[in-house]
Amino acid sequence: MPDFFDAYFAQQIINGLSLGLVYALVAIGFTLIFGILNVVNFAHGEIYTVGAFAGLLLIVGAAPPLLAVVLFAMAVGAAAGVGLERLAFRPIRRFSDEASLKSRAMREATLLSSLAVSIVTRELMVHFFSGEMQVIPQAALLQEVIAVGPLTLTNGNLFIFGASVVMLGGLQFMLYRTRVGLSIRAVSNNVLGARHVGIDTNRTIVATFAIGSALGAAAGILVGLYNGNIFPYMGFAPGVKAFVAMVMGGLSSIPGAVISALLLGVSESVATDFISAGWKDMIAYGLLVVTLIFFPQGLFGHGRERV
Amino acid sequence: MALLEVRDVHVAMGAQEILRGISLEVPERAIVAVLGGNGVGKTTLMRAISGIYGIKSGEIRFDGREIGNAKSHEIVRLGLAQAPEGRQIFGTMTVRENLQLGGIAIPPGETAALLDKSLELFPVLKARLTQKAGSLSGGEQQMLCIARALMAKPKLLLLDEPSLGLAPKVVKLIFDLVKRIRDEGATILIVEQNAKAALKVADTAYVVEGGKIAVSGPAADLARDQRVIDAYLGGHAKGH
Repeated sequence: MPDFFDAYFAQQIINGLSLGLVYALVAIGFTLIFGILNVVNFAHGEIYTVGAFAGLLLIVGAAPPLLAVVLFAMAVGAAAGVGLERLAFRPIRRFSDEASLKSRAMREATLLSSLAVSIVTRELMVHFFSGEMQVIPQAALLQEVIAVGPLTLTNGNLFIFGASVVMLGGLQFMLYRTRVGLSIRAVSNNVLGARHVGIDTNRTIVATFAIGSALGAAAGILVGLYNGNIFPYMGFAPGVKAFVAMVMGGLSSIPGAVISALLLGVSESVATDFISAGWKDMIAYGLLVVTLIFFPQGLFGHGRERV
Repeated sequence: MALLEVRDVHVAMGAQEILRGISLEVPERAIVAVLGGNGVGKTTLMRAISGIYGIKSGEIRFDGREIGNAKSHEIVRLGLAQAPEGRQIFGTMTVRENLQLGGIAIPPGETAALLDKSLELFPVLKARLTQKAGSLSGGEQQMLCIARALMAKPKLLLLDEPSLGLAPKVVKLIFDLVKRIRDEGATILIVEQNAKAALKVADTAYVVEGGKIAVSGPAADLARDQRVIDAYLGGHAKGH
């Protein structure tokens, strides 16, 4: 097959990696929160959307440099994450021992409370911004073409690569080298042990929401700048893909989720070589079903550290 | 004044009252043992002191301060650390990380010196620093658990069943270390089912039955007390 690995194919891989990195940023938020509370945060997709809208408002209002836009989106995302924890998670958490923190009742209750917050947030955004696509001003877009041999990259590709790698690296540094990170891993590993060494579990949970949400919001604005438009429902698809990546990665393994997200992004992108673009979502669901049937622990979930 | 005073403490789990008016005192630089069978409320008492459980009534005073309903992370900061029942180490994290977490309540600048001190007391951990804590043997995990508690620079160290599931040789090693920790300036409250081992190192002891203190006194006297011998040391054992 001489012309199988042609420029178009390489191009699709590059696009797939960008997409996968975005899924990875979203998946990390899911994974961190699942690790610490054993619950799926259904409002995580809306954090992504909130990040994108916060970025757009700043661009329209002040036209600041790109980095400031991303940092602002992350700050708003972190604040939204903290608010979400207060609204949908904290009131249901009465005790902080492991049994009740990770109990089924907690899981089911927060599944619904986070879903409720997600619906309300989305509809509020529709109310204020309408359900239509909002166009990002031309000057802020990341669609400048950079030709590398036969490949066409955009500065958006490069920026997503750079920003994601920096954020993923920063996250690993934070989790392994700082007190906040050690606390997050400790609470994920053993809540009772964490309380005995003097960790404030509530504060650690809030920090986890803030960090996971900041990354999700960053993904939202990056995709907005890359695609050129944003809308209140934009969080749904990446939310589902990131959820699939988390499950494939073994629910609470960050490296697992990141690798699965990249795999997912590249498969989706390359698949358009073989199937029509309208069917590409089948890839994510297909991978999810295959994972659940053949690797119920996830591809990387076996005996790995949570978080 | 005693370093720790527990006065008429009641703790309930739902409708069931586990501690029904328990009182005890731990003088500075003493080793105090709390003995008793399974399910009499020993671990509940330890968790209430550490702030894991709230108390229904009564008072717990530590170092002159009322801590009856303080939060667990505040209590560790006051200088009261526990090596809890079941060890509760962070199994997927390294030994070094476990020890760092033990010192999370004290200023970062002091942890390096404390780590050296802990490792001097527990040299077996030194070779295992980069190993996952879950891969250690039971005795090593218990040592890690105590070393982790010492990283919080406690004035009062609580030990909940440190001998559980360990070989007699390891039990002796651990109790020798307990004495050494006291000799270096800490105060110790120890909960044990292994009454014989505990009475050997303790100054005073309390026997808990049904959520209350049944017998108390100097450890040497309790070791000769016929009721204690019958119930906890095996009827045939000589108490000295």
